[in-house]
Amino acid sequence: MKGNARHIIEATVIILAGILLFQSFYIQFLDKDIRKRAQYAALEKVVSYPARGAIYDRNSKLLVYNNPVYDIEALYRKIDKNMDTARFCQLLGIDRATFISELNKDWSNKQFSKSKPFPFIKRVPVDQFAGFQEMMHEFPGFSAQLRYIRGYPRPIAAHAMGYISEVDPAEIEKSNGVYERGDYKGTSGIERAYESQLKGDKGYKYLLKDNLGVTVGSYQNGALDSAARSGDELMVSLDADLQEYGERLMQNKRGSVVAIEPSTGEILCLISAPTYNPNLLTVDRDRGKYFSALVQDTLKPLFDRTVQAQYPPGSIFKTVVALAGLQMGVLDPNKGTHCGGSYTLGRVYKCSHIHYDPRNLGDALEQSCNVYFYQKIQDIMNKYGSDKPGKGLDEFAGYMRQFGLGKMLGMDYFNELPGTIPTDAYYKRHYYRLFRDSTWKAAYEISIGIGQGVIQLTTAQMANLCAAIANRGYWITPHFYKGVIKNHQLQPQDKFLEKHKIDIDPRHFETVIDGMERAVLTGTARIAQLKGIEVCGKTGTAQNPHGADHSVFCAFAPKDNPKIAIAVIVENSGFGSTFAAPVASLLMEKYINGKVDSTRTWLEKRTLEQDLIHKPQPAPPTKP
Amino acid sequence: MLQITTKKEWKGDKVMWLIIGILIGFGLLAVYSATGSMAYLRYKGNTEVYLLKQLVMAGIGLLCMYACHRQNYLIYNKLAPVLFLLAIPLLLYTLAFGVETNDAKRWITLPVINLSFQTSDYARLALIMYLARSLSNKQEYIKDFKSAFIPVMVPVLLICGLIAPANLSTALLLFATSVMLMFVGRVSFKYIFMMAFFGILLFGTVVLIWWFFPDAVRVDTWISRITDFISNENGGGYQVQQSKIAIANGSWLGLGPGNSTQRNFLPAAYADYIYAIICEEYGLIGATGILLLYLWLLFRVSRIVMKSPKAFGAILAMGLTLNLVVQAFANMAVSVNLVPVTGLTLPLVSMGGTSVLFTSVAFGIIMSVSKFIESIQEEQPAPENELMKMANTSPKPKTVEDESDH
Repeated sequence: MKGNARHIIEATVIILAGILLFQSFYIQFLDKDIRKRAQYAALEKVVSYPARGAIYDRNSKLLVYNNPVYDIEALYRKIDKNMDTARFCQLLGIDRATFISELNKDWSNKQFSKSKPFPFIKRVPVDQFAGFQEMMHEFPGFSAQLRYIRGYPRPIAAHAMGYISEVDPAEIEKSNGVYERGDYKGTSGIERAYESQLKGDKGYKYLLKDNLGVTVGSYQNGALDSAARSGDELMVSLDADLQEYGERLMQNKRGSVVAIEPSTGEILCLISAPTYNPNLLTVDRDRGKYFSALVQDTLKPLFDRTVQAQYPPGSIFKTVVALAGLQMGVLDPNKGTHCGGSYTLGRVYKCSHIHYDPRNLGDALEQSCNVYFYQKIQDIMNKYGSDKPGKGLDEFAGYMRQFGLGKMLGMDYFNELPGTIPTDAYYKRHYYRLFRDSTWKAAYEISIGIGQGVIQLTTAQMANLCAAIANRGYWITPHFYKGVIKNHQLQPQDKFLEKHKIDIDPRHFETVIDGMERAVLTGTARIAQLKGIEVCGKTGTAQNPHGADHSVFCAFAPKDNPKIAIAVIVENSGFGSTFAAPVASLLMEKYINGKVDSTRTWLEKRTLEQDLIHKPQPAPPTKP
Repeated sequence: MLQITTKKEWKGDKVMWLIIGILIGFGLLAVYSATGSMAYLRYKGNTEVYLLKQLVMAGIGLLCMYACHRQNYLIYNKLAPVLFLLAIPLLLYTLAFGVETNDAKRWITLPVINLSFQTSDYARLALIMYLARSLSNKQEYIKDFKSAFIPVMVPVLLICGLIAPANLSTALLLFATSVMLMFVGRVSFKYIFMMAFFGILLFGTVVLIWWFFPDAVRVDTWISRITDFISNENGGGYQVQQSKIAIANGSWLGLGPGNSTQRNFLPAAYADYIYAIICEEYGLIGATGILLLYLWLLFRVSRIVMKSPKAFGAILAMGLTLNLVVQAFANMAVSVNLVPVTGLTLPLVSMGGTSVLFTSVAFGIIMSVSKFIESIQEEQPAPENELMKMANTSPKPKTVEDESDH
């Protein structure tokens, strides 16, 4: 290579290097502005957390509010080595061991730095903090960060409200910068469904700090700072008094209650028993302890029986069988049948009560005659000939879907299950698996006519089907959301307005509603009679593989212009009229009349005292 | 069998191997420190993940270097035209169908092995090889415009022009390297200025294309970066501020390895701003050290290629080294706010994916040239004899040394 060229290039590169080095040197030692900035060892982003939106019930009664707590942060470098540790621990209510273990972090771990504040003690209650705050100036290096956790004035509606918890790293990654470490987020129930409304926005302040962690000033004169914005206040459809009363009625029982306002689809109460005190799962210092206790509880209080438990509905299913049969034209409402207490078709199917022969559909519903409905479901399936039960069944299943059965309702509530409504394809698979032959006969499966066999519904679905009957042919997706409250004004919701219409003639609904009314007046559900209110209901007694029959009851009231539709399940307790119907009727009475009539206080007392969990099942006492 | 003795297998200049080793070591330390916050974001604080990734890449890079330096460097002379011709469709394909990141189509993904890389990294290597070949072949009649200069100038303008729309800084770097190579290859100043003029024309064309197809070229990004740089009243944008604070924090001796605080505030501290982190943790002493390492590398190469019997080896090694060293300087210049933000990495030090492999190949080729020169020195203590022999066996390409002796 030509020496000349080489020297020129080398010289150029040396000059370039010289310029680079000088610039580094200039920044390091001569640029006064940057020198000053460098003294603020770091730019710190200080977060102020928003208050989460409060939640009110339909009557503007407070359900969930915010409890301020303080996270105490420590800046290791600034802590006075000779501080009064004993007094400090006493003020914060911690012991010396906690103090030492929480303060001496693993400094080789990059997560912690001696010159950056780190969370020292989390969630100190306000009263405790008040004492500490006065003395805080004696303990340099400690600072406090205001956070909000949830509080519940009445310990009710734990499942419906859900809870919040700290976001995990996967959620942070997914959220695209919305959530950061240490943020809270709704994990279940309404807290989760309306997270975006409730959460609010964090505020940020950018502070320049020197290398001792002392604030020197605000960054760019606060041009980038923003204030925290509180979350929206939410009104939900629950009736807190009804919810509380229902939870009391369901105490010491396993089961679930869902009540809906038929005209709007608003959920009035949603109870899964046994329930738990929502204050236990608020993100305070003892949360972990209570959470694991609830998880380990054999009664599974965290399990939501309203949408996650699928029950055979039992006889309440007869109402929709009747409706589908009427619309399909295979059921004559004026024809009766002979009930000899049992029905023989290959094997003997029993009727559960002894009663007179039903002369028509009304009698059959009133007496909940199994034989009648065995015959009717057989007629439904065999509508297109006994060789084609699948065609009739699929038509029937189509009507069930219109009622929201066998599919998810689409509530603003998580973990809904669809239940089971069999179809031709379902039985073909089933029989092929059993016998390697997919042909099946209506006669094999008549138990679905009384809501047994493979039929399964959730409590929410049962309440919804009752609401659909009460509405004479349509339903609105059950929901909690009533709207956001802005400037003390409810902003009405527009999410749940669609009417799901059912292609069944309204006059058929009247026929079935008459039958349900007669069931209450003179039939199996007489215990649900209310003074001055026309109640339409249907009992059910669901045989199930988990033990004694479930007591099932669904009803709506009043008959005209209905205000409430309700479904109640009391697990493993027997006849529908014994346990479920009293609970449902008391709730309806309380909701419509505001109080329980003095003639029924015995029933209220009995229901409150019944304990199906802790002692053997008592024999139902009779009316005095 | 498996024991690779350094003497036998790793040939070439020992000092250069040492420099490469130190740079890689520096890189491991700095990247490990700089990726801390990212590790918390992605791997639940498992900071070793990035260290391991960097270690694996360094290992693969060393393997590449080893493999490339074992070849006789003349093979690159033969391969150059093929590699160069391949670069053109690859760059065109990237512009049309490349993977888009940050508004720029720079990457393509190889089918089957599912490896994505920046085609400009490849094109750089190919062009420098091709230039080295052309310049050395045409040494005799290099002053002739038509037969000699056009075959050199057209490839440069073509490749730089194809890289520029998506990656202006790489194109400028490559163009600058090419100009220096021509200078080394004894092209007259007249032609070099002419090429610079054509380069400006080409750049104008690219901007014109943007005028009509704003999505095709990133001119708007360039403009915003340059205006950011010029309107420097408050000390520049956020990145620049943070980078300057990091450098100022360092003072003479730095905060010590792993003690950077600015790594939490500097975006892409592990790549574009690694020099700022080095300044912060190792101070002016460390920063000077790393700068000197690159300088030393350049000087070492230029001393070695002095002894090269063939112009091709000399120009090739010099071209690759210049390219890498200038890239390093450009990266540092961004950190100290001498030039606008570019996105060029610090070779061998920054964390990077496949670009590390191309850097390694470049070093492998440089070492291959150095190995060859070392071997002739060992065999023939008097290089003149060797040169004579070479000149006799292959009369066409005259050696640079030959001519410089005139």
